[in-house]
Order: sequence, then C-alpha cells, then structure tokens
Amino acid sequence: MIGRIWALALVTFKEGLRDRSLYGIFLFALFVLGLNVLVAGFFMRDLGKVTVDMNLSALSFAGLLLVFFIGINLMAKDIDKKTIHLVLSKPFSRGEYIWGKFTGLVMFVGATQLVLLVFSSATVAVVRWMYPNFFAGFSWGIFITAVFFVFLQHVLLCAIVVFFSSLTSSSFISLIFSLASYIVGITLEEVVFYLRTPTANEEVAGAEFLQRSLEVVTWLVPNFAAFDFKLEAAHGLALEFSHLGVTFGYACLYIMLLLILASVIFSRREFN
Amino acid sequence: MRTLGYRCLWFFLALAILVPLYAYFQSNLWSQRAEAREYLEAGYVVPSQFSRILACGYKGLLSDYQFLRILTFYGSRFAEQQQMVDEDWDYFVASIDVITDLDPYFIDPYVLTEGLLTWDAGRIEDANRLLLKGAVANENNWRLWYYLGFNSFYFMKDYVGGAEYLMIASRVPGSPDYLKTLSSRLAFYGGKTKTALLFLKGMLADTDDALLEKRLKTRLLALEGAVLIEEALVQFRDQQGHLPGSLNELVSSGYLHELPVEPYGGDWLFNKDARVFSTSKFTHR
Repeated sequence: MIGRIWALALVTFKEGLRDRSLYGIFLFALFVLGLNVLVAGFFMRDLGKVTVDMNLSALSFAGLLLVFFIGINLMAKDIDKKTIHLVLSKPFSRGEYIWGKFTGLVMFVGATQLVLLVFSSATVAVVRWMYPNFFAGFSWGIFITAVFFVFLQHVLLCAIVVFFSSLTSSSFISLIFSLASYIVGITLEEVVFYLRTPTANEEVAGAEFLQRSLEVVTWLVPNFAAFDFKLEAAHGLALEFSHLGVTFGYACLYIMLLLILASVIFSRREFN
Repeated sequence: MRTLGYRCLWFFLALAILVPLYAYFQSNLWSQRAEAREYLEAGYVVPSQFSRILACGYKGLLSDYQFLRILTFYGSRFAEQQQMVDEDWDYFVASIDVITDLDPYFIDPYVLTEGLLTWDAGRIEDANRLLLKGAVANENNWRLWYYLGFNSFYFMKDYVGGAEYLMIASRVPGSPDYLKTLSSRLAFYGGKTKTALLFLKGMLADTDDALLEKRLKTRLLALEGAVLIEEALVQFRDQQGHLPGSLNELVSSGYLHELPVEPYGGDWLFNKDARVFSTSKFTHR
C-alpha cells in the first residue's frame, strides 16, 4: 500500500515541478527578497524585524500561490480532463489515490519551500551583515520554527484542496472553496475574539448570535492564524514548547480527519 | 514581397502615430499625478480591530507598510515646507495607534512619536498614551520609559512622575549608567533647563535616523543657548541683587559676549525665575 501511495506521490511531485507557473512564483518570491535588501534601509532601528517580516511573508505568500495555482491543478486536472479513468484502472484503491495525491502535493510544496528558505536565509544573512547592530533579538532557531509552521499551514491547505477536489469535478470550484476556507480560517480568530469584547456587544447588532454561529465555524474551519509565528520570529520572542506542540497536534489531527473524509467521499463517487 | 512591404509600411506608420501619442499621454499622466500628490491629504485609517482582520495573517508586514506610509506623509509635508494641520496630526496619531496594535513590539513608531508628536504637535497626552502602550508591551526597552520620563519632566512639569519613569528605565538591563544620575538630578532640580540638555544629549547619542538627528541637534543648540543665558542671568542676579531689564543688558554689562543664536528664529525671553524661553517655542513655524 505504502509503495503504491509513494509511486503516485512521486508522479504528482514531478508533475508539479514541470508546471511553468513555478518559475513565475519563484521569480516573485525572489523579487520580494531582493526588495527587502533595499527597503530595510528606510527604517530607523527595526531593520531586523522588517527583514524577517518581509522574508516570512514572501515565503508564506509564495506557498499560498503554489497551493492555489499549482496544487489545485495537480489535484483537479485528473478529474477535469478525465485522465482519472486511466489512473483508477491501475491497481489503486480510491483511498490510496487521495493519500498519494496529498503526499505528492506536500512533497512538492515542501521542496519548493526548502529552496525558498535557502534564498530567504541568504537574504537575512546579507541584511544582517549590512546592518549588524539592528539584529540583536534575531534568532535562527525561532526563524526556522516560524518557517516550519508556515509550511504546516500550507500542508493543511493541501488537505483542504484534496478534500474539495474529491467533492467537485471542477477545479475552479475547488479553488473558490479552498480560497474561502483559507480566508475564513486566517481571519476567524480575530473576529471571534473581537466579538467577545464588550465594545463589540454594543456596536455590532446580533453580536451574541454571530458569536454562537462562529463557535460552530471554529469546529469546521481550521484556525490558520494559530500557525502564524511571524511576529515572534521578527522580534526574537521565545516560543513556548506546549504552544507549538498543541498547534502541531491540531494540524495533524485535522489533516487526518479531512483526508479520511475525502477518501470516503471519493470512494463513493461516480465518474462519467 | 509587395504585401510584406505594405505590411512593414503599415506597421511603421502605426508606430509613428501611436508611440508619440503614447509619449504625450504618458508624460501628461505623470505630471498630473505629481500635481495631485503635491498636497497629500491626510487619509482615513482603518481602525485596529478591522486592520487586524484585513491583514489576513500578514499583520507584521501591514504594520511595516503603514509605518512607511506615515513616514512618507510626514516627509512630503516636511520637504514641501507645508504646515502639519490638526487633521494631519489626527491622522498621524491614528496611524501610529493602528501600527502599534498590529505589532506592539515595533519600536520605530514610538521613536517617531517621541520625535514629532511632542515638540511639533504639542500632543503630549497622545504621545504618552502611545509610549505607555509601547513601554508596557516592551518592558525591557529602556528607551520608551526614558521618553515617558522626558515628556513628564519637560512638557508636563511632572518632576516626580518623570523621575519614576527614569528609575524604571535605569533598572532595565543594558540601560546606560547616566540614567540613574539623571533620575536623581530630576528629583532634586526638576525645573532647570540644564536637565533637559542632559536628556537631549542622551537621546541624540541614541538616534540613528538622519531626519530625527538633525532635528535633535537643532533643539540641542537651542537649549544650549538657553542654558548659557540662564547661567548668565543667575550670575547677574547674584551679583546685582536683581534680574536685568532686558537680555541685551547681559551683553552690555559683560555677563555674555553676545546673545546666542536662536536656531528656530524666535526671540529669547525670560521670566522672574530666570528661566529662558523663546517666542518660537523651539519649533519651526
């Protein structure tokens, strides 16, 4: 079983690398990293913070583009272009297909993020070398941890893409649903906590009802904001191990549940 | 061959018309934009609770961008020699508030607040509110406590409060040694201009930004002038038993070689306690 999943993952990974959009996204990320070297000088003393902010944001945004533009394509193209019949005629179970595709997507995102991390670290090192006095709070350990959690966020997003692709046969609908899930997931925390403040109760009509509805949403949509350690990395603030552990566990369990659900739905689907 | 010749002709003819037309519109568009930007309007700042949501996980980056915007806004006013009006300062305060809500550990906005909001805008309460927010979030940053101490002492004449802030600053690991001396000096000789001079020298030693450094140097020059006159006034009073009728009397009776230049272009004034002020209030008018 593992062998079959691995074989499918490898094919998906290679297919991803062949996508031309990859160059565009890489160029964009490299442009932002280069821009960082120029922009850092505009600030007074928080050059280190701005550098880390820009680097992590470039990595995170490039990752989102990879998942939304290449990842969705990799997943939905089989169904869209009917090549899935060819794949499923091989000795694969549908569940294995889902896990194989997901593993391939994760490998693809992971590999590209790793390459971007090398460039990003080089940028940080260059700016640090140019302005050594302004990186007092910087720590490579926290920086790498933040990058890992950015990656984990993308892995979660891959699982969402796989899930929606197993539901619909249109890649566009998968894209819209995945994008909507991401936007809800990344803003959810702020909205939930805002609604809990006394001012929200006075200003927002039906705040209590909204609050209760959102409580339900928090069980369905992942809290993407929890994976954001950019601020901590920017200022070199210590990260609590328990905090990281809970976030990691939360992501793993959400991914597993979603993929099991996707496998079940996909197994019952009929392709015309 | 003939058709190819015609095609080339059409191609170059089209280019000959379209390129100059494009050049005309392009240059017009940019000059119009330059005119429109001559007076940058103070914009609307999206309140913190919405900015935090709209940032979509890029709060740090949004705070950097907002900070660059407010720097450009102030920079353009300064470069065009335009007066910052009340509305502009409202925009400034709202921006800094949002920036520091997005990232409370970002120190640059607090430094800018201290540099501009106090002397230029005279909005000491706003400045201290923002600085206190920063000092609480960044307890280990002595500078913010130091700024709070200076504002309490110099602008609010609250010498006890100022000394307390300075004591907190001096207890932060890595803070300069002179803070302890300054704090005790403040507690005893609160009202002296010389104390302000020591404060400013400390700030200047700690400033890296060219614009703020230039402004601090001018201010330091002004305060040095004020201290020089104050010392001459005290000497005059001690020897003559009364204060001079005018500052020129200090020069004519030899207590001063000449009146120091007031770098802001105002006139020197003094009160019955021998404290020296200027009609410019030490700001560019």
